[in-house]
Parts: sequence; structure tokens; C-alpha cells
Amino acid sequence: MRFRFCGDLDCPDWVLAEISTLAKLSSVKMKLLCAQVLKDLLGEGIDYDKVTKLTADAKFESGDIKASVAVLSFILSNAAKHDVDCESLSSELQQLGLPKEHTTGLCKSYEDKHSALRERLKEMSLRLGRLEAVSWRVDYTLSSSELRDINEPCVQLKLQVQGAESGASETTVVSVSAEKFRVLLCELKQAQNLMNSLQ
Amino acid sequence: MLLVLSEQHKGHLSFMSSVEPEVVAEFGRIALDFLRRGTSPKIYEAAARKLGASVEQVQRAVEGLMFLVLESCRHTLSETDFLDSILVLGFSQELNNTLLQLYLQQSAQVRPLLAQLAPTLPNYHSLEWRLDVNMSSRALRQQLCPVTTLCLSLSRGGTGGSERRLLQARPATLLHLLSALEGALDTLKSSHTRRILRNIK
Repeated sequence: MRFRFCGDLDCPDWVLAEISTLAKLSSVKMKLLCAQVLKDLLGEGIDYDKVTKLTADAKFESGDIKASVAVLSFILSNAAKHDVDCESLSSELQQLGLPKEHTTGLCKSYEDKHSALRERLKEMSLRLGRLEAVSWRVDYTLSSSELRDINEPCVQLKLQVQGAESGASETTVVSVSAEKFRVLLCELKQAQNLMNSLQ
Repeated sequence: MLLVLSEQHKGHLSFMSSVEPEVVAEFGRIALDFLRRGTSPKIYEAAARKLGASVEQVQRAVEGLMFLVLESCRHTLSETDFLDSILVLGFSQELNNTLLQLYLQQSAQVRPLLAQLAPTLPNYHSLEWRLDVNMSSRALRQQLCPVTTLCLSLSRGGTGGSERRLLQARPATLLHLLSALEGALDTLKSSHTRRILRNIK
């Protein structure tokens, strides 16, 4: 059975098993649990006390609580990842055995936060190091120990980059002569034109 | 199998015959903490003061006891083997039973601890990827070159932290990698592997 929210693959066995655990909750409580899980996926942190209170009626043990949070996380993040629309998600979840009221609640929460989830997932995507800050200074060299009269401008560039492999901030300082800087500026403007043409 | 205790070890442990069994149990607890967290001289000093013995004697007794428990756990001695090994120390029957109880209680906890001490290779933790298309570069405009960037997160078990390795792969390389990994998984189903797994069980 291929499911769109699993990326056109089979649904994992543990998801099938835990959907029956989810069905033990009332649909109202499940919608509130969805809201908590969505907060966690959007990076706002999850309030485990609230989750415990929500699942207390259905007498969930700690293993059941973890399982239901995990399965909701999986369903919501995968649905956002594969950009599944509300109706398909609803029909697929009902095929897997989630009761209709639960499915409606889940899909409503998903639809509300759909774009926010996709934004957050885009931010979390792999990036090979990010440029954090650029600062520059233009100097004018008058003379040096090698040559008495130089009279040339030069640019000092400080690039603060978040390292790709380490994740820590790395600083690079370069000084660029006038001609080299003109070449650099021209090439970067060409790259910028290319990027704009793609947008 | 039987443990063979060196003369020095026997000398250290003989201190235990002069103290009460509850103290031996206390020593056992200190010994287990030693494995988990290391030890501090204060504990030995307090025990030495209470028993009226020197700090070194207490320390050697505790370390001797810890070594005994460690060696027994390493070889997973059964009860009879353990009792036979400590018979040579000439302790009273009550002391032997106390030591046996100590060993049985702690063996369940000590073996996982010992497993962590083995040298480890970096372990796979997670893999993030992104698919990019190289449209143009400073050298060549108007290209269409798909490239996958992989970030492999590895962790070293126990104390070591995690490290990240960045890799890039063209689609052909990625397909080759996939087929190689699937081939590796398929060897699990081969008859040779099945025979080995059956015999390990």
C-alpha cells in the first residue's frame, strides 16, 4: 500500500500500531495533543506536563505518551515534507484506521500550520555554512618599506562564516587590491543577475 | 572456570575477614561507584577512621574487591564458580555468602558498564541531504549539473561527542552507493549468513 504522506512508500509498521493507541484518546484531546506536537515541530518546545494531563484520562503510560507524540510528529512532519493536501491526508489516515473525528481534527490543525511548518522545514534544511556578517574598510596605502610612494587604495574585508562541518563561527580577514576587487565585484554582480533571473 | 587470584590480591582481600559483613557490603557499594564515577580519598578516610585501620588498607581492600567483581563479571562466573574461586581466600561461610550476594547484585549493572569501555568506531547517527542543481559557475555558464550534498553525523559511543562530515555526490555515484548498500543488506538473507545466525542463537 503506497501512501502519499510516506513519500509514496509503505507506511512503517510502528505507525500502524500506534494509530490504534491514538484512537484511544478522545478527539478533542487529540486535537490539543496535535497543537502541542505542532508547537514542538515549529521549534517552540513542548509542554510535557500538559501532554501528561491530556493523556491521563485514557490512562496512558509513559511509553504510550512517547509513542503517540512520536506518531503525530511523524505524520505531521512527513505530510508537510511531501506537501500533502488536506483531503488526501484525511483519506489516507482513515484507511490506516484512525477514526473520522480524530482525522478531521488532525487535518484541521495541519492545514492551519501548513505554511509555517514548511517554512520551518526549509530553515532546517542542510546548508553548507552560512555567511553571518560582512564588514569592510577602504584604506589608502601611502608608502611601505619596499617602495616609497605607493598611493593606492585597498579594501579590507572581514567575513564571518558559520563553518560547514563544525557549526562554529569562523572569521576570515582578507585584504584586496583595487583591480582584484573590481574583478570580484563584477563577477558577484553577474552571479546576482543570474540569481534574479531565476526568481 | 575458576579465577586465579594473585598473592598480592589475596593479601589485600584478607583485610575483609577482619571486618563486619555490613562493612563488606558498604565496600561493595563504594567499589561499584568507583566503576561509574571514580573515587575520592574522603570516602576511604571516613571508612578508615570508623574501622580503626589505615587508609591504605581500606583502599586496597576496596580496590581488591572491585577487581574481584570485575573479573567475575568479565567471565560471567556462575555462583558455584565464584564461591570456588573465593574459597582459596579462607573466609568464613557468612562472608562468602555476602560476597556472593554482592556479585549477583552488581553483575547486572557492571556488564553494561564494561561494554561501554571497549574502544568504539564512530557510529552512524543521522544523514541530512540536499539536492542542488549547478546552473552556472564563474568558469562555465548555462550548465545543468545535479549534485547531492550529504552531511553524515557520526557519534562516538560513551564519552566522545559527535562529528559531522560533508560529502558531495553526483547522481551516478549516489545510485552506485544505493546498490552497494542494498547488496550488503541482501547478504543478510544468504544461506551462509543464516547458518551463522542460527548457530549464534
